[in-house]
Amino acid sequence: MYTLNEVIEKKLNGFCYGNRILLPFKAQLLKVVIESDIITDFSRSSKGIQIVDQKDFLDLYFLEYKRLSDTLSAYEAIKIVLVEEGKDVFDWNNHRKIALYLTEKHKVTIEETDADILFIE
Amino acid sequence: MKKVFFVLITFFVNLNVFALGQQNGVDTVTANAVHSAQLPNPIMVLPFIILLALIATGPIFYKHVWERNYHKISIMLGLFTVGYYIGFLNDFTSVEHSVTEYISFIALLTSLFMASGSILIKVNFKAAPVTNVLFLLFGAVISNLIGTTGASMLLIRPFIKMNRERMKPYLIIFFIFIISNVGGALTPIGDPPLFLGFLRGVPFFWVIQNVFSVWMIAVFLLLSIFFLFDLSNKKKAETISAEAKHPVEVKGAKNLIYFAVIIAAVFVDPKVMSWIPSLHPLPFGIREIIMFSVAVISFKTADTEILKANEFDFAPIKEVAYLFIGIFLTMIPALQLIAHESRVYSSYLTQATFYWSTGALSSFLDNAPTYLNFLSAAMGKFGLNVNLAADVKHFITVDEVYLRAISVGAVFFGAMTYIGNGPNFMVKSISEQAGIEMPSFFTYMIKYSLTILLPIFTLIWFLFFRG
Repeated sequence: MYTLNEVIEKKLNGFCYGNRILLPFKAQLLKVVIESDIITDFSRSSKGIQIVDQKDFLDLYFLEYKRLSDTLSAYEAIKIVLVEEGKDVFDWNNHRKIALYLTEKHKVTIEETDADILFIE
Repeated sequence: MKKVFFVLITFFVNLNVFALGQQNGVDTVTANAVHSAQLPNPIMVLPFIILLALIATGPIFYKHVWERNYHKISIMLGLFTVGYYIGFLNDFTSVEHSVTEYISFIALLTSLFMASGSILIKVNFKAAPVTNVLFLLFGAVISNLIGTTGASMLLIRPFIKMNRERMKPYLIIFFIFIISNVGGALTPIGDPPLFLGFLRGVPFFWVIQNVFSVWMIAVFLLLSIFFLFDLSNKKKAETISAEAKHPVEVKGAKNLIYFAVIIAAVFVDPKVMSWIPSLHPLPFGIREIIMFSVAVISFKTADTEILKANEFDFAPIKEVAYLFIGIFLTMIPALQLIAHESRVYSSYLTQATFYWSTGALSSFLDNAPTYLNFLSAAMGKFGLNVNLAADVKHFITVDEVYLRAISVGAVFFGAMTYIGNGPNFMVKSISEQAGIEMPSFFTYMIKYSLTILLPIFTLIWFLFFRG
């Protein structure tokens, strides 16, 4: 299993199939922004995202979308505020903001959001 | 106000009196097709009403179903109307006229959208009430040069960024009020309805000459109220980029040249400059070719980092293009019938009627077709045809207050709801993409537009359009 720092430093990819995104690290999600949908309810009754906690990675299903690649342009990101597994969720400094970009061959680029990307936590 | 409702109600009731193919009487002037001998059956207004109702409710109540199907619905309803005109009324002229107007309209919006998407403005100063007021005032002014759509696209990100530590929904709401709507009331480039008026023959500088005083009062009042709101925001802006060398940085500044080309192209029209060749019978002219070329070139030469930072997506302009082809086609019968009705009820139609009626409908429907409908109605009152540029010019000389009331009503009231004007939804969407929880459709109205805008608009009615 990789840490988020390793993923970003080594520029490791996630993957996207249909409405499913696989991320090569484990984390607690706090907020997800996809297009104009702001998702903060990750309970089982929520229709936004289903999170499946796999052994070594994170599996996300965006239930309102059939194919994410049909919805997001090459320049649009899925933005996530998260806390890496094992880190204190109540420590504000552990809240990290990442942006996911869908690229070719189902690959998902994972970047820490820079100053140009608007993302208000 | 009672008069307004009376006229609206009697208008809609009277629509049912028509029979299919009623002969156009001596005193009837149709809005479209000078040679047309027939008015459409009033039932043919239904596709227009259905489309506008779906546009109003779709993004709010059944968002994902609407997103998947809006283009099919819009085209289907548009083609239904086209089929009726060509098949039953044998009237090609009205359809051709609408298609030509649509192409001009979409050429302007597309070119402004593409050019603004390729520019990134970074602001590196702390937000505070005074700087925010100056920023909004600047936005109000330039929305007349690059359109409310262009100004909104260009300025919403820097505005959010400079207020990120003190972000509250009212900041975005006032941005929508001032930059996305009221600000753009001074030129035909400012807001789509005014551009439609320009295409119909309203002189370019007529708007600024006649609306400036109204604009000044509205912008001053809005900025003053905003200032009070912003003073009560106790959160202070903290962050200024350490790497920043200048208070404002513009990336992709070459695209500002494209804006200049677009603005110049607005005048490239045989009606404005007689030496410009007309490409008739093609449904577009040299102006539209220039605008579409600018759109393609600005996108092809754009820096991908800027597009990424702007989260550029064709979806908003694609949505406008699909929806407006439906709107332009389905509104043909409405335009013709309103022109007819306005002659029947001409004695009731005052400047106040036009101000409130245009405003009321612009709040919920798109303000561009609403403007045309009421321009058609006002001209019908004087027996003039909105399709003839000479008639439009004559109409302005008869009594400019009607056109002023319609222009102000269409542009200003677009701010009343999220769906009143195209940029409102774009700004809402960009803000939500940035993680800001925006007020719901009804909260926006109850908490902000009814309490802030309506009193201002009532004052404007009292000062300018009471007659």
